[in-house]
Amino acid sequence: MLRGYYTAASGMRTQQRRQDTLSNNLSNAQTPGFKQDQAMTRSFPELLVKRMGDEAIKTKTNKQLSLSNQVGPLTTGVYVHETLADQTQGTLQETNMTTDMALVNGNMPDEDGALFFTVQNAEGDVRYTRNGNFTVDGEGYLTTNQGYYVLNDAGNPIFTNGENFTVTPEGVLTTNTQQIPLQINYTANHYDLIKDDENLFTLTEEDGDVLGAMENARDALGVTFSVSQGFLEASNVDSGQTMVEMMQAYRLFESNQQVVKAYDKSMEIAVNQIGRLN
Amino acid sequence: MSRMGIQAATTMRELQNKLDLIGHNVANANTTGYKTQMANFSSLLYQNIDNFSDEEANSVGRITPLGIRQGAGAKVGHANNNFTQGALINTERPLDLALTEDRQFFEVAVTENGETETRFTRDGSFYLQPTETGDSALVTSNGHAVLDQFGEAIIITEGFDDVALDASGQVVVQRDGITNTEAAISVVEAIRPQFLEQTGQNLFRLPDVTETGFEAGDIIGQVADVNVAVGRLEGSNVELSTQMTELIQTQRAYQFNARTISMHDQMRGLINQMR
Repeated sequence: MLRGYYTAASGMRTQQRRQDTLSNNLSNAQTPGFKQDQAMTRSFPELLVKRMGDEAIKTKTNKQLSLSNQVGPLTTGVYVHETLADQTQGTLQETNMTTDMALVNGNMPDEDGALFFTVQNAEGDVRYTRNGNFTVDGEGYLTTNQGYYVLNDAGNPIFTNGENFTVTPEGVLTTNTQQIPLQINYTANHYDLIKDDENLFTLTEEDGDVLGAMENARDALGVTFSVSQGFLEASNVDSGQTMVEMMQAYRLFESNQQVVKAYDKSMEIAVNQIGRLN
Repeated sequence: MSRMGIQAATTMRELQNKLDLIGHNVANANTTGYKTQMANFSSLLYQNIDNFSDEEANSVGRITPLGIRQGAGAKVGHANNNFTQGALINTERPLDLALTEDRQFFEVAVTENGETETRFTRDGSFYLQPTETGDSALVTSNGHAVLDQFGEAIIITEGFDDVALDASGQVVVQRDGITNTEAAISVVEAIRPQFLEQTGQNLFRLPDVTETGFEAGDIIGQVADVNVAVGRLEGSNVELSTQMTELIQTQRAYQFNARTISMHDQMRGLINQMR
């Protein structure tokens, strides 16, 4: 069988998956706090290809010992291995709304470290986000624009009773009556987090164990950050670059399609020409 | 299964909503007491796609948990009203009032489909409208009655020489040379103003709070110390430069997503042309 058929088909599928990731990035080029995804591709494991029946060695007993010479390793395809979130800081946009906040990364000791606001989703689970487009709901609590409560240092929703508050650069929300520090969490390896709906990140569980760890950024050693009120962190998607990558993926898709067509031509000859009687 | 088409189509619809919002803001750039509506995007549902059945082989060389996470585009999140004070325009008309604090409103009575509701406005251009009995009612430019602190329409009995409004929102009537304060215009403050929704005609309304569990009194309350500017009107707080910039950005995002759809279509075409 022509192995190349499946290799080319896998190439087409891979480029399709890459396009899905890239087009989602492009769709979210305006979303505050969005972190772009990068698709990592990987080859299938290699096959060792041998040539059969090429040479035969005569033995003492007059039998033939056929050798199989190695042709070499052959990879049988490619696939999208994983999608990595790129946690580069987005630029700050000024909106002048007192309820908008942007988290600015300062010093982080780990190369893969990342900082997040902490929110509580509809089921009461803790989630993490960079989207600081908050608002105050009818009960006076600070929520995200989907209505999820923003949590303070103690892990409780923040009651502001209105929009009259200031947020210091250290992330402390100051109303007329009290000072509430926002809960900012730090992780040493942000690849442990996966994306959940609506700009949220979450830790995953495997067999009951939580993979990865989040610690309070104020307690973490060597971690600095600042919170800017009246600003939003823009998406870190570069539209131009994403467009170029999409065109590249499209052309690779096309190339793989041409390879399939070439194999098809070979098969056509094999089916129609070989063994023809006239 | 390719999700490009779905992602792009969904996002284009949401971008259209954002364009509608920007258009509404720009159209009201000169409307008295108009408050800019601001909307931001939020990403949509993420799904885990398991593309490899052999878990052990899939975990070689990975740094993220198993599977590929794919999103479904973006949507417009909550549209916030920006209640920043607009610039005061000098009209020198005695019945024009302008509120000088953010989040304060006048109360008006609106009758729709036979039901009367209290709504709120920042538009302080008031007029005297003759009623059936010959008295005059204080109304807004759309004919809605302005309410006093007790929730009653302000009616001035006939036979007055002059009506003026003072800086505390009180209606001062001159009859036969004697001036008297006959009513006080109600000014309320919205403590949690994002709950107000914009209806037409420069009005805001409080939606029905009984189902939500919120107390109407916690959202809107009377202001004790009223301080308004007489002879002035509050302009719109729309910043045209910001709106035009957002319009350009949204338009370009729309174009990008349209490009995604055509690319998706071409890829599908390539698949169909294989044989």
